[in-house]
Amino acid sequence: MRNFSYVNATSIEQVPSLLGRSWDDAVVMAGGTDLVGEMKDYAAVPKRVVNLKSIEGLDYIRQDDAGLRIGALTTLTDVLENSAVSQELPVLHQAVSVIASPQIRNMATLAGNILQRPRCWYYRSEDFPCLKKGGARCYAVGGVNTYHAIFGSGPSYIVHPSDAAPALMALGATVHVHGPRGGDEVLMDDFFTMPEMNIRRENILRPNEIVTEISIPKPEANSKGMFLKVRERESIDFALVSLAAQMTVVNGTCERASLVLGGVAPIPWRAVEAEDYLRGRRITEARAESAAEAAVEDAAPMPHNGYKVEIAKNLVKQAVQALAS
Amino acid sequence: MSQNGHKVIGTRPIRHDGVDKVTGRAIYGADIQLTGLLHGTVKRSPHPHARIKNIDTSRAEAHPGVRAVVTAHDLPQIADKLADLGEAIVNLRDASNNVLAYGKVLYKGHAVAGVAAINLHVAQEAVELIDVEYEVLPHVTGVLEAMEDGAPILHEDMKTTSMGEETDKVSNIANHFQHKMGEPDDGFAEADVVIEREFTTQTVHQGYIETHNATALWNEEGQLTIWTSTQGAFSVRDQMAEILQMPVSKVKIVPLEIGGGFGGKISVYLDPVAALLSKKTGHPVKMTMTRDEVFEGTGPTPGSYLKVKMGATSDGRLTAATAYMAYEAGAYPGSPVGAGAGCIFTPYDIPNVQIDGYDVCVNKPKTNAYRAPGATNAAYATETVVDEISEKLGVDPLEFRVKNGAKEGTRRADGPVHPRIGCIETTEAALNSEHYRSSLAKSANGKVRGRGVASGYWFNFNGGRSAISVSINPDGTINMLEGSTDIGGSRASIAMQLAETIGLEATDIKPYVVDTDSIGYTDVTGGSRTTFGTGYAAHATGQALIREMKERASKLWDVPADAIDFEDGVFSYRDDAEKRGSFKEMASQAGDAGGPVVAQVSTNPDGSGGGAFATHVVDVEVDRETGKVDILRYTAVQDAGTAIHPSYVEGQMQGGVVQGIGWGLNEEYIYNDDGSMTNASFLDYRMPTTLDLPMIETIIVEVPNESHPYGVRGVGEVPIVPPPAALANAIYDATGVRLRDLPMSPPRVQKALAENGG
Ligand SMILES: Cc1cc2nc3c(=O)[nH]c(=O)nc-3n(C[C@H](O)[C@H](O)[C@H](O)COP(=O)(O)OP(=O)(O)OC[C@H]3O[C@@H](n4cnc5c(N)ncnc54)[C@H](O)[C@@H]3O)c2cc1C
Ligand code: SF4
Repeated sequence: MRNFSYVNATSIEQVPSLLGRSWDDAVVMAGGTDLVGEMKDYAAVPKRVVNLKSIEGLDYIRQDDAGLRIGALTTLTDVLENSAVSQELPVLHQAVSVIASPQIRNMATLAGNILQRPRCWYYRSEDFPCLKKGGARCYAVGGVNTYHAIFGSGPSYIVHPSDAAPALMALGATVHVHGPRGGDEVLMDDFFTMPEMNIRRENILRPNEIVTEISIPKPEANSKGMFLKVRERESIDFALVSLAAQMTVVNGTCERASLVLGGVAPIPWRAVEAEDYLRGRRITEARAESAAEAAVEDAAPMPHNGYKVEIAKNLVKQAVQALAS
Repeated sequence: MSQNGHKVIGTRPIRHDGVDKVTGRAIYGADIQLTGLLHGTVKRSPHPHARIKNIDTSRAEAHPGVRAVVTAHDLPQIADKLADLGEAIVNLRDASNNVLAYGKVLYKGHAVAGVAAINLHVAQEAVELIDVEYEVLPHVTGVLEAMEDGAPILHEDMKTTSMGEETDKVSNIANHFQHKMGEPDDGFAEADVVIEREFTTQTVHQGYIETHNATALWNEEGQLTIWTSTQGAFSVRDQMAEILQMPVSKVKIVPLEIGGGFGGKISVYLDPVAALLSKKTGHPVKMTMTRDEVFEGTGPTPGSYLKVKMGATSDGRLTAATAYMAYEAGAYPGSPVGAGAGCIFTPYDIPNVQIDGYDVCVNKPKTNAYRAPGATNAAYATETVVDEISEKLGVDPLEFRVKNGAKEGTRRADGPVHPRIGCIETTEAALNSEHYRSSLAKSANGKVRGRGVASGYWFNFNGGRSAISVSINPDGTINMLEGSTDIGGSRASIAMQLAETIGLEATDIKPYVVDTDSIGYTDVTGGSRTTFGTGYAAHATGQALIREMKERASKLWDVPADAIDFEDGVFSYRDDAEKRGSFKEMASQAGDAGGPVVAQVSTNPDGSGGGAFATHVVDVEVDRETGKVDILRYTAVQDAGTAIHPSYVEGQMQGGVVQGIGWGLNEEYIYNDDGSMTNASFLDYRMPTTLDLPMIETIIVEVPNESHPYGVRGVGEVPIVPPPAALANAIYDATGVRLRDLPMSPPRVQKALAENGG
């Protein structure tokens, strides 16, 4: 880890001025569970670290008629234990329950989770100056790409590591951003960016902006959700493939399906073709299977990760059938 | 009272070091703080194979926080010389070059320089200021590729030794040996079923939680003290004396609590570097590895290639077996292929056997011992082939093992004849276990289930030097100093043997692991020897104390010593019922008759005595869609000889099984084409967590070891041997597909099932 200076922020308004024009100048820290590891691995080398946890009043979960508002600094444990979340947003509850380990969930924040950086092992190793770190090549191409993306066409093949992000996206959540010119709101669907847009980052946030809140609209009546995650180990393991599914089914017919895959693409991956296929159709096993096929139609696996396609397909089929019954 | 008339042995007292460990008071290497302490770190090679053309340390030395930089040029150049470190024979020149590379780097992570600075961050910064000029050489990381003609050569001066003779051939094969017994060709001719299969296993790490650490102080008199985490303080002393070319009397090693070793904490890595840095600076220097340094810079257990052929008659008798075993040594010769060869067919009585072993250098870290080193790779091959043969013959795989089981008088292919062993008893206990007799219910969720069994053998080192020094307190309690570091509950198991011998409670003994200046030479805690070997010394210590107490009683009672008996914990004079007293009662008066009572004993048993056998039963559930294998139930059966503290025997069995499961299902060093490891973190190198495992059930079999006064056999290593094979056999039972490459991780299982229609 390089030397850095450390500042305790005291208000949201103050933060943009403490941050800089570049990510090398300054970064914010919430729970630090991702950032500190990144700094130890020299993937992040900021001159200044701005602590957000010293700002009061950013950890809350508030419910009103429109839905739920969750403060950026709310810990994953608080999200997990919140009864509104567990009763009305099972997809989010289930997603958070399989993140990391209890110790990490106690420290980690919800905003930090969706903003965490990639887990690509080349990115996390000091020895590989890859594209994402400003280098000249992607080592996953021609390297060991067992855990890399099956969607997207580079030039970086990371998978977005967050479990909470696909769930929030499936729920149609909105991210509240605060920058030098004040506050702004962005739909989760528009928040994440593919590598061809900005190889160095995974979302639209600029170096002097922060996330202050995530709001989730109240799911419509007859809508049900679930989160499925396949991993090699039962704890402390990222998803090989995950699926956040939220579906509105009336009398066996799908009115709306929101299907977001995790672990397969540089961003939480909305399976648009599957969603379109399901809309207005009665759900049968054959149709669940067709939806699954549609979900992976565009998959372009790398030499070592073809197995993910099968898993993704199976998860879509499983979730569609379960939510229709 | 427990069984066999023992009062202490077989009971389960709370371990002496337990409270300090669970309350965080126990002192580990990371806790050491000394006045004027500097912090050191290591510069490591980014290349798997390269010539070092130049090391320029000037920029690092100019950094204001840096106090010293050392390279291999600060180490004395030492000649080729072999030293026995307890679990492995080591060439000291190689050991020195492994500590700091000289001339060439042979693996990514190879240490090239050490830095001491005012704090760790400065040291880490300074490492980046050391400029090393390399001439990168072609590298080779796979064992079979390394054996090919034309492969990149690691050691240009290393000639292959074949069948005990040095040849003229320069190759990466350090050694080829052969064990032969009978005529395998004739044996296969007699057989009705012959199966020959190939297997591969990958490099895996012991994965101890505490990373390597060393704090060194080289004082003004040239006396070197090292506080370190090690399985053998005396072994560290010997290595330091040799690598630094100094008398052992100038080196004192203080072993601290050890957060896991499993064979990996016998060789020194940081200790000599910290010592050199302390010598240069005149300050104590502390060094601690990070996890990726542990993965890339210490000694994992080897990847290997095995080809095993076995034949049996239609009435179920094994007639012949051959094995071709090629093990990766890593950067320097010395893989555990020899040990593997001694274990590969040992659970069986086979008349005709040939075993060819190859010790092969590759551009990976020098391998080190890991729990029954070499035996797990070997059993993966044998036990899978035995499963296939049993299936072909239509016999129960455990009955087949009982029928062909090794027993007293059976000869091992590498020479030795078994004394009394518990191989067949162990297999029979597995056969009769509730688990094996139960039926396996079908899965309700579309997954498939299967059951597998496998056996395993490990030698156990029934010898070695151990010293114990005791002093008796007037209240009859005993302070017991020992040289065996405690990695698995051996303070308790040794104290219990002393307590049993002299009729005290386990809690009356206060065991202490002390430094090398305070106790006689004691061999490493390794080879499953400690409860056996240091327990042997504890028994002898008890005997010495009884003799001494009789002398004291003779003075106090004014009667001849040889007329005093010791029975059931009580000293008594044959001719006067009044003259009697327990050990404690005698202790309160004994000091008046000749000063404080003390005793010092050292022992070195002859090494005879049988090894350890285990048979495991596992039920798995396989998800064909994801390739994930879940373990539903696991039972480990093992001959412990005599279980001194049954909870710690069970703990060793469970721990070994868990490591074997990790090795079987997930763990591996994943290499890039450039010879670097991609997954040097516990996130990507997946060891199982508690949630991945059921409770591991244990069945202890007790066939006493005739070469130990209490019948103890070592128990620590053999439980890691059967799991990968048992899992492979269970996966086959579930899916109909045989997996012969480790690890059987989800992506691989899924691929194998897809390819084989399982
Ligand atoms: C061993 C391990 C296992 C894990 N397993 C999983 C898993 O299975 N699933 C999963 O989803 N995650 C997993 N994680 C990731 C973990 O969930 C994240 O590290 C955590 O959620 C990050 O939250 P934090 O508050 O600690 O963020 P920090 O580490 O403080 O920050 C993370 C990043 O977000 C930025 N940031 C944080 N808050 C804000 C904000 N309000 N505005 C702008 N930028 C911000 C920081 O600058 C930094 O770049 C794992 C992590 C570890 C260490
Ligand atoms: S996938 Fe992305 S992060 Fe990984 S090596 Fe390629 S460019 Fe770097």
